[in-house]
Amino acid sequence: MECFSLLRTDIPALIDHLGGFGEVIAPHGKGDVSYSFEVVKDSREVVLDYNRTLLPLKKLFLPPVEKLMDFSLKDMSFTPIELKIEPKVFFAVHSYEMQSILRLDHSMLSGNAESNYFKRRKNSRFVGISFNPDEYHFSDSVGIPIEEMEGFDLYLNEIDENYQLYVLTENGRSLIQGLKNIKTVEPELANDRKFKKKIRYHYNRLPRVFQYAYNSKVWADVASRCVGCGACTLVCPTCFCFDVNDEVTVTAEDGIRQRSWDSCMLTTFAEVAGGENFREKAINRTRHRLYRKFKYITDEEGLPWCIGCGRCTAFCPADISLPDIVNELIQEDEKAQYHQTIRV
Amino acid sequence: MKRLQDVKAQDTQDLYYPTMCKVTQTKQITEMEKWYELELPAGQDLGHEPGQFVEVSAFGIGEAPISISSSPSKLGKFELCIRQVGTLTNVLKRYEEGDLIGIRGPFGKGYPIEKFLGKDILIVAGGIGLVPLRSLINYVLDNRQDFRRLIILYGAKTPSDLLFKDEIDAWQARDDVEVHVTVDQGDENWTGNTGVITTLIPGLDLDLSMTIAAITGPPIMYKFVVMSLKSKQLQDDNIYLSLERRMKCGVGKCGHCQINGVYCCQDGPVFNYTDIKSLEEAL
Repeated sequence: MECFSLLRTDIPALIDHLGGFGEVIAPHGKGDVSYSFEVVKDSREVVLDYNRTLLPLKKLFLPPVEKLMDFSLKDMSFTPIELKIEPKVFFAVHSYEMQSILRLDHSMLSGNAESNYFKRRKNSRFVGISFNPDEYHFSDSVGIPIEEMEGFDLYLNEIDENYQLYVLTENGRSLIQGLKNIKTVEPELANDRKFKKKIRYHYNRLPRVFQYAYNSKVWADVASRCVGCGACTLVCPTCFCFDVNDEVTVTAEDGIRQRSWDSCMLTTFAEVAGGENFREKAINRTRHRLYRKFKYITDEEGLPWCIGCGRCTAFCPADISLPDIVNELIQEDEKAQYHQTIRV
Repeated sequence: MKRLQDVKAQDTQDLYYPTMCKVTQTKQITEMEKWYELELPAGQDLGHEPGQFVEVSAFGIGEAPISISSSPSKLGKFELCIRQVGTLTNVLKRYEEGDLIGIRGPFGKGYPIEKFLGKDILIVAGGIGLVPLRSLINYVLDNRQDFRRLIILYGAKTPSDLLFKDEIDAWQARDDVEVHVTVDQGDENWTGNTGVITTLIPGLDLDLSMTIAAITGPPIMYKFVVMSLKSKQLQDDNIYLSLERRMKCGVGKCGHCQINGVYCCQDGPVFNYTDIKSLEEAL
């Protein structure tokens, strides 16, 4: 692996250089405590030390609201959307975020592969960056170390306030071609960044826990605290459910069909015309969200669909913690096994 | 896991564009239900399986999943029958001959006809459950020699809610179809059976090794119909049901139709009972 050393002060020059490939998207500060992936206008404004952006990178591959077509009510016809996607570099992306994109790839491209998602995803390059876990990150509990580099073309590892730049792919190599002021060094992978939040079991034991957790008392407790706002799914980087709706212009002659992010945590998500609601209770919806992250897709793909970013917990207005729910289910499972052992 | 590098541009699709179909005939068959015959561009066949559905599009309102009511053996045109129960379906009520309706599909899994061949077919339809089952019934009638008995149980709330009355009369007139109709509540002119649909089951004389049941109706109906069929010793894997769910995409993406880990729009809407009996939230 090629490795270069970069001073912290060299980073804006790196970002400017990446701009030669295409638009650069990177974390920016929003107010005092929030971060957001935005198009870089001034490379000095990019924030390298951030805990997490409010919205994940999915917002750029599956936009929160996406126009699907224009239609005319006069002659009942529609005009498809011509998507023009320019090359983009996603800069200073954390490992769990990259892993969420790889999971979204599976969700959007397996079975019926979606062309819009594919077009946005093609011609994108990713530059990773290490991070210092805060009280919400738990990505190593779901199998994603800070230095997990799968999916990245380049990776910036912070070492003593400065950076080492790892070249991971051919695309990565061409991204930095001609970059000045970098010198080859030996990679120093080791570091002492520790996670504060953990799920108590290795993630490969979780499907078993969830297999027996369907009727757990934990769900009712969580549901009783949940306010049903759906924020956890909106900020979740692997949640991709959407709604489709039409909007008509004031002349009532034409309009647009669009899709927008939806949430299985909202009351009417599974309701059909006539009023039947197949997940009517908060308890069903809470459970469904967790099972989507740890059981249903996991059983098929062998990986948790939660990537441990901590967003759902950090941004929950009711202080509901996903890793705490999982740890409670583990504890309940242990108790049940203990009692079973005694009975035997 | 599917990876980006394994996908080529030609493998991807514009999944959400409808095909505009011309309405060739309509009929308001009850106060709540309207029947439509539609034609695809250039008279193409829809190429569906009995039990599949299409996403029906009305610009300005949106889309909803609607069962296909005609048999695939009807070529060139296909039929829908839509209950006016929500925003979209109430707008569709205004569509008449010559209007254009967008459709996507057919989607999902229908009845596995190969498993029905040479068998006694027991149809259990509750309310508008007859709409998708009519596709299967007409398929069986159009290929009558490939199947043994055809037994149709149909229940509606009142006599005025009965769908496809003329066709039911025609089925009753044939000697190779056994038709039993019941209503929850009769009126002064009603001389037929009264009672919920399960009351028709105990009197049936079934050849257990040869019978396959196809059930469609309101969610509440399934539990009771399955219970009665099981009390007749019908095997679980000879029971098929079609489930209704909210669906926005029809292609396994939008998430609305999930029943635990199963996508109703892809793995269903027709399921074998063995595959869903232990699936929580299914029935």
